[in-house]
Amino acid sequence: MSIIERVRRTISGPESSGDPLLDELRAALSEDRVKIDGAQRSLLGKDASVFDGGNSGPICYPTTTDEVVAIMKIAESHDRAVVPRGAGTGLAGGAIPLGAPVVIAVTKMNQILEIDEDNGIAWVEPGVINLDLTRHLTPLGYHFAPDPSSQQVCTIGGNVANNSGGPHCLAYGVTNSHVVALEVVTASGDVLMLGGLDAEPDGYDLRGVFVGSEGTLGITTKVAVRLTRNRPAVRTLLLSFSNTRDAANTVSGVVAAGIVPAAMEVMDQRITVAVENYVNAGYPTDAGAVLLAEVDGPEAGIDIDAERIRQIGLDNNATDVRLAGSEEERAALWKGRKTAFGAVAQIAPDYYLHDTVVPRSKLADVLDEIYEIADRHDVLVMNVFHAGDGNLHPLLIFDGREPGVLDRIHAAGGDIITASLDAGGVLSGEHGIGVEKQKYMDRLFTPDDLDHQNRLRRAFDPVCRANPGKVLPMGHSCADIQQLRSVPAEVWG
Amino acid sequence: MDLKLDADDLNTCVQCGLCLPHCPTFRVTGDESMSPRGRIHLMREVQDNNAPLTDEVLESFETCVQCRGCEPACPSSVPYGYLMEQTRETLADAGHMTPTWQKLAFKPLANPTMLQAGSSALAVAQRLKLVPKRLGISEELPIRRKPLKATGEDVYFFTGCVMDAWQRDVHAAGMRVLEAAGIGSIPTNELAPCCGALHAHAGLADDTRNLAGTMMANLDPDKPILVDSAGCGAAMKDYGHLLGTEAAKAFSARVFDIQEYLADHLEALPTVQPLDLRVAVQDPCHLRHVQRAHQATRTVLAPHVRELVELDDDGLCCGAGGAYSVLQPDLSGDIRDRKVAAIDRVTPDAVASANPGCSMHLGAAGVPTIHPMELIDRALNA
Repeated sequence: MSIIERVRRTISGPESSGDPLLDELRAALSEDRVKIDGAQRSLLGKDASVFDGGNSGPICYPTTTDEVVAIMKIAESHDRAVVPRGAGTGLAGGAIPLGAPVVIAVTKMNQILEIDEDNGIAWVEPGVINLDLTRHLTPLGYHFAPDPSSQQVCTIGGNVANNSGGPHCLAYGVTNSHVVALEVVTASGDVLMLGGLDAEPDGYDLRGVFVGSEGTLGITTKVAVRLTRNRPAVRTLLLSFSNTRDAANTVSGVVAAGIVPAAMEVMDQRITVAVENYVNAGYPTDAGAVLLAEVDGPEAGIDIDAERIRQIGLDNNATDVRLAGSEEERAALWKGRKTAFGAVAQIAPDYYLHDTVVPRSKLADVLDEIYEIADRHDVLVMNVFHAGDGNLHPLLIFDGREPGVLDRIHAAGGDIITASLDAGGVLSGEHGIGVEKQKYMDRLFTPDDLDHQNRLRRAFDPVCRANPGKVLPMGHSCADIQQLRSVPAEVWG
Repeated sequence: MDLKLDADDLNTCVQCGLCLPHCPTFRVTGDESMSPRGRIHLMREVQDNNAPLTDEVLESFETCVQCRGCEPACPSSVPYGYLMEQTRETLADAGHMTPTWQKLAFKPLANPTMLQAGSSALAVAQRLKLVPKRLGISEELPIRRKPLKATGEDVYFFTGCVMDAWQRDVHAAGMRVLEAAGIGSIPTNELAPCCGALHAHAGLADDTRNLAGTMMANLDPDKPILVDSAGCGAAMKDYGHLLGTEAAKAFSARVFDIQEYLADHLEALPTVQPLDLRVAVQDPCHLRHVQRAHQATRTVLAPHVRELVELDDDGLCCGAGGAYSVLQPDLSGDIRDRKVAAIDRVTPDAVASANPGCSMHLGAAGVPTIHPMELIDRALNA
């Protein structure tokens, strides 16, 4: 801030910022809940991915639905786009600001409003942290089933926006199966209730449309989540293999045998070494790959399933099979799996995490292909994935300071996506499309498909002010952010 | 501006965000510029991109409690504490933070006579009701203190500055417990006037280096040094890093938290009837996140109280943070509210905390806080 600016602010006081948008937002919320300084706006330019949206516009911290409505209406009157943000742990750039939009940070909307055991649901605000919700439910014997690796920090609102998954979604289903109703605010400030507590609500399933819409249909302000009963018994197995192919074949074998494990996760040797270095959970660092498999349910019969998995592993050349002997051991193994992405900084300061899904039967082949692609582009790849549902997470590791490295990373990423689609897979398992995979949408969808998605989006947001520039590929109206820049990008300094 | 941060240290952060919920200031504000990831981003902006040191950037750095709760949560082992200490040192040197009055305020800590005289004056003022509440001094300070006498020569008992002036009773209890375990101790008194932790937190690392030098020169290099203040113990265990010399590393290796040391000598204590209390363990951040020796508190308390209960907040900071509660009273109070709520959820009779700052800060909010050594001392003498 220049001296002149400082003096000007001192004289005129904070309430007159010289910017009508800012003044109106501050009047609707409060002075301290609308931030505009450059430090914060550059900070919110990024999420946990490699994408940088540049400086955001004003950052608002509402605490009520009414305040969200007010923000939407003010933004509309100034023809500004709006981007929601939770904990900023997204991996596809879904929450980054494009064209200096108004940011609605939901971190202060973090109350668990009601626990309704009769209906088996809880009403929560979007800023509630996923793991906080589960911890809150634990004494009652429940949990929130979707458990993304980032569950200790990610918000329920973000889970809804991305239809997040997690290791235990193999048996329990992803976020969409655990959200029964949503209060949402559209870009024009209308408040809608989507879904409901009835087992089969009438009419179109607009709740289902909203879950996974990545903020492009509006922002959720209250969520009714399903309560899932805690499991009476759990067995966690750690199987070691000399290569990822054997691990992948074991996963297919388990499913083919009719077992429905709660989770099946594979990590290759490189990532296992990084993880073990952090958690000291006893992961074998000399194995080519490890499979973490978990079965749960009533005590009776659970050991039979665990033994069958062990046998299928041995039939697929497992070199070692270990049963977690205590809750502490089990927790340490899961901590390792869930912090895998962050642990890679021991090797290089940057990572690019992919998220494609392939048919389970093609897992081993696609993995081989991914290692070849990485070699071809001279990048280091690690594989850690939700093997049970074929959700791959190839992790490309690099040092962004190396000239030209990002080009190679993006080229390798493109080839990985192509390989996954060619194998009959899809673009995203759980991280969403964001800005990351827009350009691949037309490989998966026909122009007709995309046109209908575009119309659906416009039914909620006719002027494309809800998180524009995301999901739908360029060339479709709401993706074309250039049109939306009615103010120059530098207007905020 | 060059913050003099090690580029490799700074680059270990991959911005994954797993630290956010473990940061007390992010928890109470929901504002990412008050999170470790946000602060590291701003360090990079300032150091690598020459971003201006605006009021907001300085505020982000100044509001960090330096609890280091983010470090165990970080899968990439970012040395956040060092990054923040270096940032503050550079900014304090350049006159951007830690104003002169603060620099002066830390001086008496290294001078026991001055400190204790001042403390006695404060104690008198307290009785005359002249001490403002926001200073957070919950207990009645002693006007006079009984001198501590050596009970043997096995170990040093670090007495320090403020704690010796305000909570010498805790030292006395600790020395009695050690004695009961057959361990004779020498109180360090003026041999080691202050550990320098508060100076380092404020960016005055040179003062800390001087204090470390004094202490190392004055103490017999063969004896273990036991510390009953988690913040001091953490600072003294870090002399090896701070001074970078072999002698300092050897010194740091001889420093033990008193619970940590006693846990290895527990069998030497007589078996007694446990106190009829339900005690919640409040882990001081510098014991749990920095020294990572907090399990020992449970080991030594378990035989001496009826029941130990854990808080459900993942060891989140209480907001005391050395001088933080005075420098950032609003944030500090909001952070404490969360801690008090966590304590209320487990309905304890007392809260055990092995750090004077935490116990004063929680005490000021009406929480019955007591040092683990005092509980054990009571059980032994019941």
